[in-house]
Amino acid sequence: MRLKKILTHFFILMALTTNISFIASPNGYELVITIAMNMLATILKMGEGKILSNELMASSLVADLHLIPAGFIYFLGDTEEAVGLAIGALAANIISIVIGVIETILVTFTEEEE
Amino acid sequence: MGRKLKLKIKLRRRRRRRLKDLYEEKLFEILKEFRLPLLMLHTVMTVGTLGYMILSGGDFINSLYMTVITVGTIGYGEVVRGSDTPVGRIFTTFLALGGIGVFTTAVTILVRIFFKEDVIGIIRAWRMLNAIEQLSQHYIICGFDEVTAELIRLLRKRKIEFVVIDSRKEVEKKLLEARVKYYIIEEPYKRTVLEAAGIKKARGMVVNLGDDAKNIAVIVTARLMRPSKDEFYVFSFASTPETAQKLEELGANKAIVPHRLLATRLAAYIFHTSSAYISDLFDRIAFGEETDIDILEVPVREGSPLAGKKLKDIDLRRQLGVTVIAIKRADGSLEVTVTGDTEVEPGDTLILFGRPENLRRAEKLLLRLTEAKV
Repeated sequence: MRLKKILTHFFILMALTTNISFIASPNGYELVITIAMNMLATILKMGEGKILSNELMASSLVADLHLIPAGFIYFLGDTEEAVGLAIGALAANIISIVIGVIETILVTFTEEEE
Repeated sequence: MGRKLKLKIKLRRRRRRRLKDLYEEKLFEILKEFRLPLLMLHTVMTVGTLGYMILSGGDFINSLYMTVITVGTIGYGEVVRGSDTPVGRIFTTFLALGGIGVFTTAVTILVRIFFKEDVIGIIRAWRMLNAIEQLSQHYIICGFDEVTAELIRLLRKRKIEFVVIDSRKEVEKKLLEARVKYYIIEEPYKRTVLEAAGIKKARGMVVNLGDDAKNIAVIVTARLMRPSKDEFYVFSFASTPETAQKLEELGANKAIVPHRLLATRLAAYIFHTSSAYISDLFDRIAFGEETDIDILEVPVREGSPLAGKKLKDIDLRRQLGVTVIAIKRADGSLEVTVTGDTEVEPGDTLILFGRPENLRRAEKLLLRLTEAKV
């Protein structure tokens, strides 16, 4: 077990789950927590040099760029548009999880080899 | 089991890293250092914003603003609802106590990393490597000093692109002062560095590292990558005539001994004191200092339409604005008394004299004619 990996995956998953709950029942606190979790996951992925890190970082940035405007739009009163953007971010979150799983499998293979 | 092995082999078979990739990696390494201060800053901002949101009943924008002005020591006042209550003030006190320290530390670390690691320098080098990839038929100059600075001046005059490679960091300032467009601050004998300088598409290379051993290392590496002496020219400096011979055997097209070259040129002036102008003119043409006039050798291959014709029939002077001043015969002899009746034979080399643009046109046309016929 690796602490950094646990933390990164924890924040990716937290971002995904809070995003889903925000979409299901829009709530300002959940949206702020989603943004915070997503940004934390992005910061943790910065500068990583693993097999699929670039893809992981890109998907995380996409989610950030959906969620940050969603935050401002939601608190300015347009809930529908904010939920729309959050759905976009959800797609990026799901891709992040899939890439994370693939990366873990590939890293396991290369480590076994060594 | 077989599939697993195949996957392993594929994972292992990654392409060889280019210099550009190494610079990219350096940038990512620096990015990694940004993580801790950003995490600190992000945590403070999240705690502050969420805290004020709870106090104000969900006012996100003002809560974020209040957090920024508190940790950023701006302190415009208690702008968010609930922050002027006792609970609000306790929260602001703790946020300010912890947050201001975190904010200043994080910003200091970020600025320090930015300047310590020379982020701008790495980005500039990376962009330059991208631009070098677009070059072709250029020259690579290994080692920068007074001689190569002068060479650069002459190459610029002829609009020949070049890339300078030097391992000394202090040279970068001089290169910028000399307005050198493309340069790489790395060891020139490395394969990745020569690849990054575009050796595969370059026309030639000048090796002037001030040390015979270093020159040899670069020449040998370059020759391994571009073996043909006719397609890739390597010119080198050597400390003695013996070393020059060795360098030529190892792959240099021509190795020059500076003191010998200077002596030869001085001797030429001494021997031709009575015809100083013409001697100087040929010198300047040969050394590329005369930009209005130039000389060019054009080989006449077997099957060339020029072969078997008399010079007056080809009439290059009227057709292309260039003059045949001599013909080097296949046996190595030089015929300098050429007339209109002189016949061109296969294996000859025409020595043409004229304006550089006319010579370039003549070279293209004559070589194309030969290739088309063959």
